[in-house]
Amino acid sequence: MSAGQIRFCALVRREVNRFLKIKRQTVGAPLLETFLYISVFGAALGSRIDELHGIDYVVFIIPGLIMMAWAINAFANNSSSILQQKFQRAIDDQLSSPASPLELLLAFSLGGFLRGMLVAMFTFTAASVLVDLPVEHVLVLIPALFLVGFFFAQLGVLVGVRAEQFDDVSFAQTFVLQPLIFLGGVFYSASLLPEPFQTITHFNPVYYMIGLVRYGFLGYTETNVALSLTVLSLATLALFALNHRLFSLGYRLRA
Amino acid sequence: MTAMLRDDRAISAPPPADEAGGPALKIDELVKRYPTGTEALRGVSLEIETGEFFGLLGPNGAGKSTLIHCTTGLARPTSGSISVFGHDAIEHYEQARLAVGLAPQELNLDWFLTLEETLDYHGGYFGMPKRERRERSRELLEAFSLGAKKDDRTRTLSGGMKRRLILARALMHRPRLLILDEPTAGVDVELRLELWQYVQRINEEGTTILLTTHYLEEAEQLCDRVAFINDGGIVAQGTSEELAGGYGVASLEDAYLELVGRKELSRAKISDVAP
Repeated sequence: MSAGQIRFCALVRREVNRFLKIKRQTVGAPLLETFLYISVFGAALGSRIDELHGIDYVVFIIPGLIMMAWAINAFANNSSSILQQKFQRAIDDQLSSPASPLELLLAFSLGGFLRGMLVAMFTFTAASVLVDLPVEHVLVLIPALFLVGFFFAQLGVLVGVRAEQFDDVSFAQTFVLQPLIFLGGVFYSASLLPEPFQTITHFNPVYYMIGLVRYGFLGYTETNVALSLTVLSLATLALFALNHRLFSLGYRLRA
Repeated sequence: MTAMLRDDRAISAPPPADEAGGPALKIDELVKRYPTGTEALRGVSLEIETGEFFGLLGPNGAGKSTLIHCTTGLARPTSGSISVFGHDAIEHYEQARLAVGLAPQELNLDWFLTLEETLDYHGGYFGMPKRERRERSRELLEAFSLGAKKDDRTRTLSGGMKRRLILARALMHRPRLLILDEPTAGVDVELRLELWQYVQRINEEGTTILLTTHYLEEAEQLCDRVAFINDGGIVAQGTSEELAGGYGVASLEDAYLELVGRKELSRAKISDVAP
């Protein structure tokens, strides 16, 4: 391995090691949460809801839950990891190393991305055991999930870099992210909503992400798949470019 | 003194000089203006020769830490240039950063990591292969009497142990220029003397050292040359004797008091009035 590869691996290993050391909180808790959703909404309520668009209710919500697990964990990991390292000033060890802004950004991003992927994979495996979960369009599903994971990983980095206290991070998660994800239609089909809520939902970007992932698993969608993928790619790219700019300037990282 | 250097192996022994050459640190007309408008450095120029033990003295807020942060990439200079052994430290910083080890003033250890991981990751950030990292971290943990704690998390360490680990971390990648930002601020007498022995030995082994401190006695004891920094500028530099001579006083401390305009505090005067 070249010195640059060793460096990048060390940066990523640090991020992965951090969440694995507190895996009860970073992997265990989100898994439990997902199971609670499946049992409350799927098993308890689902028996009364019957089918949505010809799909079992519990099967209908699982793609959204898998996506939500990836998104929230990617976000939460990166925002807290960066803020905590800024807080302790431990991040100075990486910042005064020869690592470039791009390497730092990618390494911080990958931490949450991989944690989200891990939780999503566990959720998928468990769900596949419990219910008959189809995978209709794997070529849409994989890029869609990767893009969503990377998008929220970038968002986590952005919030972590900007944040000055832990409240800033939990504010973003509780008051912005969770509502957007819940109201994006994880637990229901937006087409069943009364107006004006149906129209409002169409302004929620997460609605299109769930649409993509649901299409990938179930083959059912209310949204335009090609357009959603394009817009999501562009949005992810834009966010990445913004973060790269901030890292290059040293925004709130270097004095 | 309980924890002294435990073996005779070199703890620093930096790699031989590379082809670029040039002084260990060369700073030219360095200006750092913060967004608030505060000008922390107003055109500082400084040169530290290879192998020197150099002290940077000045009151709080004089610009000592800012100068160090600009050199190590933790602050972005507004203008001016910095080179480390001839390598640009601002734009194309890779070689310069490899050559510098920083022991910051704050105990900025990562709570999540064990002592060994702290050194291992640091070595990784500086591109050291695995085997070398393992050997080097073992060697340093032993040298700083931290071997028994290698698998403990850093937050369980006492203040003195954290200080030693920070020094070990700075030395991990065998830097040729070691920067110590107030390494003995707030430490007890034993640890201070212990740290002095460590850094003196590191310097003798060939590492150039830049030390900032408030303790004039520390600078007098350790440094070949000293610069006074005040209000964002270097106001005097030389050996302790030269500085004292320049101000027409007997000690480095009196020279310092002249610099900050508080010569009435001189201990020479206190003993004059003492009964």
